[in-house]
Amino acid sequence: MPIIEATGLSKTYRVFQKTEGFLGAMRGLLRRKYKEVRAVAGVNFAIEPGEMVAFLGPNGAGKTTTLKMLSGLIFPSSGTAQVLGFTPWDRDDAFRRSFALIMGQKNQLWWDLPAADSFHLHREIYSIPSDQFDITLGELTEMFQVKELTRQPVRELSLGERMKMELIAALLHRPKLLLLDEPTIGLDIVAQVTIQKCLKDYNANRGVTMLLTSHYMRDVEALCKRLLIITHGKVIYDGAISGIIEQFGRTKLVKLQFAGETTPAGLERFGEIVQEEGPAADLKVDRTRVAEVLGAILDRYTVIDMSVQDPPLDQMIARVFEEGRKLHEAG
Amino acid sequence: MPSSRYFRLLFAFARYGLLRELAFRTNFLVKVSVEILWLSILIIFYKTIFSKTTVVAGWTEAQYLFFVGCYFTLEGFIEAFFLENCSAFSDLIRSGDLDFILLKPIDEQFLVSLRNIEWSSVPTVIMGASIMSIGLWQMHLTFDFVQVALFLAMFVCGLIIAYSFLLLLTAAAVWMVRNQSLYELWWLFTSLVRYPKEIFLKSWASPIGFVFTFVIPILLVVNVPAGVMAKRILDRATLAFTVLTAAILLYGSRRFFQFALKRYRSASS
Amino acid sequence: MKLVEATAVPPAGILHSIRKYINILRASLIERMTYRADFMLGTVLRFLPMLTTILLWQAIYMSAPGEEIAHYRVNDMIAYLLLVHISRMFSSMPGLAAGIARDIRDGNLKKYLLQPIDMLSYLVSYRMAHKAAYVTTSFLPYAFLFFLCRGFFADLTISWTQAAAYVASLLMAFVVGFFFEACIGMIGFWFLEVTSLLYVVNTVNFFLSGHMFPLDLLPAFWAAFFKSLPFQYMAYFPATVLLGKIQGEDLARELLLELVWGIGFVVMARIIYRVGLKRYSAYGG
Repeated sequence: MPIIEATGLSKTYRVFQKTEGFLGAMRGLLRRKYKEVRAVAGVNFAIEPGEMVAFLGPNGAGKTTTLKMLSGLIFPSSGTAQVLGFTPWDRDDAFRRSFALIMGQKNQLWWDLPAADSFHLHREIYSIPSDQFDITLGELTEMFQVKELTRQPVRELSLGERMKMELIAALLHRPKLLLLDEPTIGLDIVAQVTIQKCLKDYNANRGVTMLLTSHYMRDVEALCKRLLIITHGKVIYDGAISGIIEQFGRTKLVKLQFAGETTPAGLERFGEIVQEEGPAADLKVDRTRVAEVLGAILDRYTVIDMSVQDPPLDQMIARVFEEGRKLHEAG
Repeated sequence: MPSSRYFRLLFAFARYGLLRELAFRTNFLVKVSVEILWLSILIIFYKTIFSKTTVVAGWTEAQYLFFVGCYFTLEGFIEAFFLENCSAFSDLIRSGDLDFILLKPIDEQFLVSLRNIEWSSVPTVIMGASIMSIGLWQMHLTFDFVQVALFLAMFVCGLIIAYSFLLLLTAAAVWMVRNQSLYELWWLFTSLVRYPKEIFLKSWASPIGFVFTFVIPILLVVNVPAGVMAKRILDRATLAFTVLTAAILLYGSRRFFQFALKRYRSASS
Repeated sequence: MKLVEATAVPPAGILHSIRKYINILRASLIERMTYRADFMLGTVLRFLPMLTTILLWQAIYMSAPGEEIAHYRVNDMIAYLLLVHISRMFSSMPGLAAGIARDIRDGNLKKYLLQPIDMLSYLVSYRMAHKAAYVTTSFLPYAFLFFLCRGFFADLTISWTQAAAYVASLLMAFVVGFFFEACIGMIGFWFLEVTSLLYVVNTVNFFLSGHMFPLDLLPAFWAAFFKSLPFQYMAYFPATVLLGKIQGEDLARELLLELVWGIGFVVMARIIYRVGLKRYSAYGG
């Protein structure tokens, strides 16, 4: 029984056009022109309880809009969705109690007061019984290692510490579903890693379903096995990360170390030379030809060391985005 | 019980508001000083007028003083509970932080209207109440339980009417492209609330007076309770009309606010 | 490369200045018209409080003994209250002090240290252009309002000298208003919390400038005292000039006094600016 099910979810909205110049401004007083933007153009997917799924896509792809529709914040233009058995945009009380949404670089906590005060307010808002509250708060501050910081005003905390407090606040009422919009954006690497680890642990131990949007590959690789790639409001890939490599990784990186002082001439025949330094060379070779190329090179030259690697994941993702853009422009 | 939850939340908001004010003590003192200055200016104006005449629009000096006190107290309540919150609403829309309010399993109007309690306006309420007391003492009124009870009831109705108009203006922010300052609009509103409605009795103004009494009943807000207490205007029609108006406006403004939220949720991305 | 550009002297000349002002004017006008609902509604709504003020004073005069209060007949009083709007149009400087204080606090003043731009001159020309734009765009609604209220000005006779004196008093009201607020803003060189002070000053000024009611209504001692303060030039003085409350020698003397106050504020502002800037650069901003 999927915990989230989206069918044909779409969102189109109007953007008012500003016209240039004095005459345009005068005309703008009377009537305004607008154009329609299709932020989300029919997405379908299903997410099972306990999964950790990433929405990946370039800026403006529709990830945040989709997330907001799943939280019930926005009405879709068409399509349906079921989240935790509810229609999100009906915004039932019971629905709102059972999930949490975090948005990176946005702060829900009281700015001038210690996080502890915001937590207590959360307890009131979600009607959390006090013993459960104390236990949960203890666990979370322990996990995020912020026990001493809860008494400091939120504005005095670093960006990473603030994000941890946000996460604690989100998890206090023990939601079954956690939605995260760009959670690690703007954070330093240490904070990113801590948060990634805590999220992973929380998902593993508590079975909380997590859905996060990001354009950082790091988040995706560290946390999620399943990836949905969205470009121009459409899902163009839905599956395991390894599948991306199979589907979109058209080249492999062949790293070679030759005997002697320099690389031999004529390597360009075998593939694109990405890097050449001393006796070492990196070649980008078409996947289908790797065996053939390796055979040919080993035949002709003396090779001390070699390895075959997948190109970096973000390069592949960039290519996926590129494919998506071409598809979109083709119509 | 759900309503006790809302009371506990209100208490929590009050507590946090106080903590925040205490964290910025000089700011708090400045705000209170400005309120004292403003009241002083109103009193100087009132005294200056009454040094030249004995009656204004059918209100004697002591009665008018009570009117000023009543206005100031009502202003204080609105500023303490609602004004700051409502003016922040357009910021919430523009920054997208309104989403966080929509996510909470709490009534949105409650959160939007009452999140921050402005303790710096509590002295305003106290000062206003003192002025009203001075006015009553100068009128040498004898205590009449019914009159006082009716006054309190009408004061609450006036407060509800004022709040409802504030909410209507606030909700309209969803459609405004530019951030028209709510404070400016509210200042206009209070300019109608601040004076006895008898000033509209003159021939060219009476249609306007009619509109603002029966169509957009702003004139009821201070006039009716002040009239009950200072001039003993206790006719049933007025009282009933005021209660009815308060109820209708409270309901109507709430519906409009929810409509505005729907519009926000359809148009935002 | 950038440093050279920054310190290059801008081309002087009247033609250039005129073109600059026209561009600022044009940009301001477009900016004002872009916000449709705001533009049309704002100017009209700003006059709504005048309605109740007029009605209140008519009610006051109705039950007052005699026709005059402090030598103002009812129409004079209402004409006065309308005219202070015009005075305030010239003398109010919204955002000036707060902007200066903010620039000081945020360190934006560095550009005035590095470049041959004088902050006060820059701000004055900016304000003048802004005021010109504002007066131009508000002209129609104001003219309409005054046309509706022409009845209150019916008994008024205005001589050419009076009109000239009125214009002079308005222009000097701009000077007084600007440099006074600039001084308040520059307190930011020494204290952080200028906005609180500004709040207090604006509240008190509403009364002291005569914006609320003519200073003549106050008891003789207080009226004389407040009229000796410069705040009266921001609302009370120009209005009374046009109403003919001050004539002949007194008018000449008062205009001169206004000029003296204006110059005084300019000098004070320049001194504060120089001292403040020295302190600012000493502390590294």
